[in-house]
Amino acid sequence: MSEDKPENSQGISYLTDEYLSRMDTLNEALKSGDEGKIHGLIGELTTLRESALYLELGKITREIHESINAFGNDQKVAKLAIESIPDAKERLNYIVTKTDQAAHKTMEVAEATMVLSDGFSDRARSLRKRWEKFRNRELSKEDFINLNDEIDQFFNSVDDDSREINRKMNDIMLAQDYQDITGQMIKQVVTMVQEVEEKLVRLVTISGAWCSVSDAKIDGEVAEGPQLPTADKDKVATSQGDVDDILASLGF
Amino acid sequence: MDKDMKILIVDDFSTMRRIVKNLLRDLGFNNTAEADDGQTALPMLKSGKFDLLVTDWNMPGMDGLTLLREVRADASLCKLPVLMVTAEAKREQIVVAAEAGVNGYVVKPFTAITLKEKINKIFERLEG
Repeated sequence: MSEDKPENSQGISYLTDEYLSRMDTLNEALKSGDEGKIHGLIGELTTLRESALYLELGKITREIHESINAFGNDQKVAKLAIESIPDAKERLNYIVTKTDQAAHKTMEVAEATMVLSDGFSDRARSLRKRWEKFRNRELSKEDFINLNDEIDQFFNSVDDDSREINRKMNDIMLAQDYQDITGQMIKQVVTMVQEVEEKLVRLVTISGAWCSVSDAKIDGEVAEGPQLPTADKDKVATSQGDVDDILASLGF
Repeated sequence: MDKDMKILIVDDFSTMRRIVKNLLRDLGFNNTAEADDGQTALPMLKSGKFDLLVTDWNMPGMDGLTLLREVRADASLCKLPVLMVTAEAKREQIVVAAEAGVNGYVVKPFTAITLKEKINKIFERLEG
């Protein structure tokens, strides 16, 4: 009897030998037209099938129940929600503040340094003009004395200003100290995100929601922020050259 | 190119505005103003006579793409050259910006040379 089972019946739990043998009997009863027997057999088949289904349903319900209980009782999940995620938010905000401060500090010092170096070149240019006049013997005695004083001042200011530039360069270097702290904090957050990912995968498995996760529609209208340099080159411009190529292909 | 031209820099990050402002100053453009999103920028553009708009895309309030479209839709502003300086780098986004009428597109992170090149190109094309 069981050799006659169609192949696709393997996974259907109510298609037992008992069930199939009744089907055969039903088939014979249909041929002979025995109505009373037919009704009786259909009733039996229904009962057989339903009890198998209820058994299966009971099993699934118990499994879901246990999984949900296990998930709810998992101390780590509670810790993630109550501690880790708020903590990560705080860390990320701190990183934003720190990097912002460092960027401003660096630019401030760089701007001040530019003012100093601009001063250098202005004074050097002015002195050079008069120095050339002096070499061409076009400078009066009075102008020469002035030039002398100014050269003296220039030497002093070069000394002072280059020290100041050195200090400012040092400030710029020190302003990069955020990298150490923020780097460590980002790593902590990455670890936490990994944990959340694992829990979410479990939750999705329990709920059986592995339904098609379709790609969000890409329409180019919405700002998405920076892409990783490792992004798909067919979809993302990873350099200014790529952007120029895309624009050129549009006739720019 | 007129070095006195008035340029509006629109970006929600003050560090980025400062960088762009410094680079422009380095290129000889000193006449700049700043706004932190499209909503702030639009009235400034309408009331002041600006010669170039340099804008980010991703901003709270009004984003750069919407600002670009508002500019193109406004009779008094529609000819204003717009350079987009943004981290948005998807092919579709670049196409959308081009279709909306952007004059140049620079992806972050960028260099002073790229910025200079694109500004020059915009004005070469306008004058040519």
